[in-house]
Amino acid sequence: MKALLVLIALLPLGFAYYKVESAIDPIKMLYSTTGIGAVVLLLLSLVPSTCKRVCHKNFLSYRKTIGLLSFLYALLHASVFVVLDSEFDFVTIFEKSLKKPFIYVGVIAFIILLFMALTSFKKLFTRFSKYHKAVYIALLLALLHSFWAQKVAGVFEYSVIVAGAVLLIERLWSKRRSYI
Amino acid sequence: MNITPEALFNARRHFLKLGAGALVSSSAISQLLAELPKDLSLKYIPDSNPQNLTLNTLEQASNYVNFYEFSTDKEAPVKLSQKMKTSPWNVGFFGEIKTEQMLEVDDLIAKFGLEERIYRFRCVEGWSMVVPWIGFPLYKLLDYLEPNSKAKYVKFTTRHEPSMFPDQAKGIFASIKHPYVEGLRMDEARHPLTFIAVGMYGKRLLPQNGAPIRLVVPWKYGFKSIKSIDLIECVEKEPLNTWQEQNPKEYGFYANVNPSVDHPRWSQAKERLLGKLTKQATLPFNDYEKEVAGLYAGMDLRKFF
Repeated sequence: MKALLVLIALLPLGFAYYKVESAIDPIKMLYSTTGIGAVVLLLLSLVPSTCKRVCHKNFLSYRKTIGLLSFLYALLHASVFVVLDSEFDFVTIFEKSLKKPFIYVGVIAFIILLFMALTSFKKLFTRFSKYHKAVYIALLLALLHSFWAQKVAGVFEYSVIVAGAVLLIERLWSKRRSYI
Repeated sequence: MNITPEALFNARRHFLKLGAGALVSSSAISQLLAELPKDLSLKYIPDSNPQNLTLNTLEQASNYVNFYEFSTDKEAPVKLSQKMKTSPWNVGFFGEIKTEQMLEVDDLIAKFGLEERIYRFRCVEGWSMVVPWIGFPLYKLLDYLEPNSKAKYVKFTTRHEPSMFPDQAKGIFASIKHPYVEGLRMDEARHPLTFIAVGMYGKRLLPQNGAPIRLVVPWKYGFKSIKSIDLIECVEKEPLNTWQEQNPKEYGFYANVNPSVDHPRWSQAKERLLGKLTKQATLPFNDYEKEVAGLYAGMDLRKFF
């Protein structure tokens, strides 16, 4: 089952690889594919626990896989920035790009995902899992980054914000109920 | 090889259909006659391409567009615009000119003739292309309109027709404020490079590229090159162009291509030439510095971006 999930999640990457040669704006296409993939998978990684509370079905064992897939997409997205867009020009990256809120918001979200990916395995997870709540910061930053990525936000950007809001509000709601 | 030219091929197919229609009924014929494909090819003086620019393909230039009147997506306007009725199309000329009037696009072509201009095109989003436009320089039109001494700027407005442009029908949910407005200072408008295009790649403009008549200002970011023009007005005050109104911190009135002034969200130092996986340097005034830098002598281009 997990293997199937991974396979489906990787399909867009295969498609992008196949299409990159004929793409009209290849760098932008790779940015969009990897960026949309990372945001959608990040949202999906929050669904299992919602699902457990709301529909009493337990998919929690998929959470880590989905989260790692989201990180893989984010890693590729960051690689597009460094390799194709900046062409390894680290002077410009550090002196100019990182000063732009659009860029550093994305970078902070990426660093959070990197931290979570590195501490997602057995030994480290027991020590660091409490810090994995930072995923909510990563999500908010990723949504802001995606909102800023276009001249004006379109249907996708608004949809993921709505989806993110629903997932977060349900969490606050269930927490409040558990106090009562 | 004997290859039938596209126009002839279409004409022949249409003739065959007419014959077939005659067998069925006369109403079928009249319907077919009404659908007779309009000849979209244009007669023009070709550009000798002295700079030896490598053209992008028509496929690239016509499948990757910003046309927010249809969609914020780059490819969606291609399908959404195919039913757009671009002929006849009257353009209104108003404001500080000798005689206010309306003229049909074909009348403009007859009046000013057509020439080809192979221009670089740089979008503010960071991509670029090279396109062979067909049209006439704007100064020819201005000479004809005879602006008076009050005319300091030229204001352009895209047609407002919500039945044709779906985004204009969305009210407060529209992606940008409609109708789209752009402007040029009179000396910019009269510059020989400033061009009114009615075609590209030898043919009439495709709907998604701003048919039937649009502006092309090659040393400015693409959003200055307004599409599907409805009105051209000579005015006294600087027009508030749509993107400046939308976000004045990010977009200004001048919008000259400038690699040393970044967009607040991304760098403008390099650009992605369509079809390429590697980037190339962006040049001051999009490589038209020699021709146009004089227009901005003494101006702080960081302030007037």
